[in-house]
Amino acid sequence: MAAWIGSSLVSTLKQRLGFTSCRVIHSEALSSVKNEPVYPAVVPSWTAESKSAKRRRLDEYFNKIRSSEVNDKLRLLTKNQRKKYVVHPQTFAINADRWYQHLTKTAYLPGLPEKFTAAAAGATGQNATTTPSVIDDQTFSEVRSLVCHTILQENFYLKKRKPFLDRSQEHFVAPFLSNLVSNIIRILAKDNPILLESSLDFSPDVNFYWLRGERIIPRGHRSGRVEPIRFQIDDKPHCQIRIPRQLPEFLPLEANVSAEVPVIGYAPDLMPMFRKQYDNNIFIGSKVGDSCRYGHTQFHLVQDRYHRDRLIKAGHAERIEEGLKANAIASLFAWTGAQAVYQGFWCMEDLTRPFVSQAVITDGRYFSFFCYQLNTLALTVQTDTGNPRRNVSWGTDSLPLYEGVSGDRVVGLDDGVLRLLLQFLLNRPQPT
Amino acid sequence: MSRRVLYPLYQFGNPQLRIFRPNFFLTLVRPGKEQPPDTVQFRIPMEMTKCDVKNYLEKIYSAPVAAVRTRIQYCTNKKRNHLNQRVKRPDYKAAYVQLAQQQTFQFPDIFPKKDGEPEEGSMEAIQEKFMKDEQQRQKPDPRRGGVPEWFGI
Repeated sequence: MAAWIGSSLVSTLKQRLGFTSCRVIHSEALSSVKNEPVYPAVVPSWTAESKSAKRRRLDEYFNKIRSSEVNDKLRLLTKNQRKKYVVHPQTFAINADRWYQHLTKTAYLPGLPEKFTAAAAGATGQNATTTPSVIDDQTFSEVRSLVCHTILQENFYLKKRKPFLDRSQEHFVAPFLSNLVSNIIRILAKDNPILLESSLDFSPDVNFYWLRGERIIPRGHRSGRVEPIRFQIDDKPHCQIRIPRQLPEFLPLEANVSAEVPVIGYAPDLMPMFRKQYDNNIFIGSKVGDSCRYGHTQFHLVQDRYHRDRLIKAGHAERIEEGLKANAIASLFAWTGAQAVYQGFWCMEDLTRPFVSQAVITDGRYFSFFCYQLNTLALTVQTDTGNPRRNVSWGTDSLPLYEGVSGDRVVGLDDGVLRLLLQFLLNRPQPT
Repeated sequence: MSRRVLYPLYQFGNPQLRIFRPNFFLTLVRPGKEQPPDTVQFRIPMEMTKCDVKNYLEKIYSAPVAAVRTRIQYCTNKKRNHLNQRVKRPDYKAAYVQLAQQQTFQFPDIFPKKDGEPEEGSMEAIQEKFMKDEQQRQKPDPRRGGVPEWFGI
């Protein structure tokens, strides 16, 4: 009995104590949370067919992409499979360079960036040793003899059978380019230590998928709706160099470029460009975990179909440079854009630092040099309005490396072109 | 050549009695969808190829041609005649020609809208007045309030 009384006393005491403490907490909570809303914010419905509901679904999807890791980001960005325009970097289309500039929002500046022109001026001014990107004469003569040797390897030392139809570039120039690049990298590694850590890929896959512009669906069950226009580049350069650190920018991110981006108001069908449906891909040539995640230089080979001799024979000599420019803009945009996406940037999270890549396009004799600086990935209609940033591309016309081969001698090897090639390969990230 | 036609064989030294033109007929059409200013649209015979179009325009009209694209438009087979037989609307081939050397082409406005009143006493004015009167006569009597004439006396 006594025990029961005791226990009931304790329980009532406990209740009272609990009650009083609870009241104290309650009053404290009231005083501290006075200005904050008591209820959760009123948000539009998730499932309704209204515009606000659609916007909410879209916003939450964007937030999901924003908060996810790079691998998931890539999956989410490329998840939605619909028909997309396939952009071929090498194309016969007329005015392809202007079309590609419009699609990638790229301003084109003829000539190379100041960095290279200044270095070239330094080399001619006989103060070659002061600038770090110019090499000494001994190395240059070594490279020069190596280039001669590589040219002769294909044309004189080796006895090659007659190539199959439309395969002469693959037969003669592709091995030349492979030898040239790998040997020059070997020689230059002592001048440019980043090349030692770099990764040289042969015929890698480079893919990029992006949205640009809008259209109204003309027919079908979704007719009348507005949909973004999708684009996909599937590129296969001959070889490319990837490095673990980023190349320095050519221009500051918000720099004002004098050149305009051409605007083409027609549907891409009229270029002509065709739509297909298959996996959307964003790929720089290696998977996300690779340490060499920044681009250095791509080397492209002009295929037989687009060879300059053929174009001249068909009477389209003026289209040679146009085609090379289009090739460079499309390929470099794809590669640089994919690198930026690998760093977690996409159209809703625009770049905080510019990305830079270089390209050399060659048909064995003629070399053209291109640089690309990616300033923005916000290319969709929603993000593009009021965005002053533009991507910038620099490029030279095609320059002949040598005149020809007579017997076992290379005639008229152009030192200027060779120096330009070496400068491209000597470009290095800022020392940390 | 499109259709097989036999001409007397020309041998070197013979006098040139006639010019042989291909019996192709191209129709310049107004593009249904807006095209870039350097693109011209044609309807061409089914037998004609891209190379034929290029040669035709370059050799006969000396128009600089950069590229030719063609497609075959399938036309409907859904229409029925009074015997409920299917009537096929004939297919045709469309050619899109891109001009070289920065040439542009705009399809002409064949029936431009006339602005302003026609002159007093001119043929157009008389015609217009006649049409107006005739339309007035065709209108039903507004006092009948839409009741058909059948109900009248």
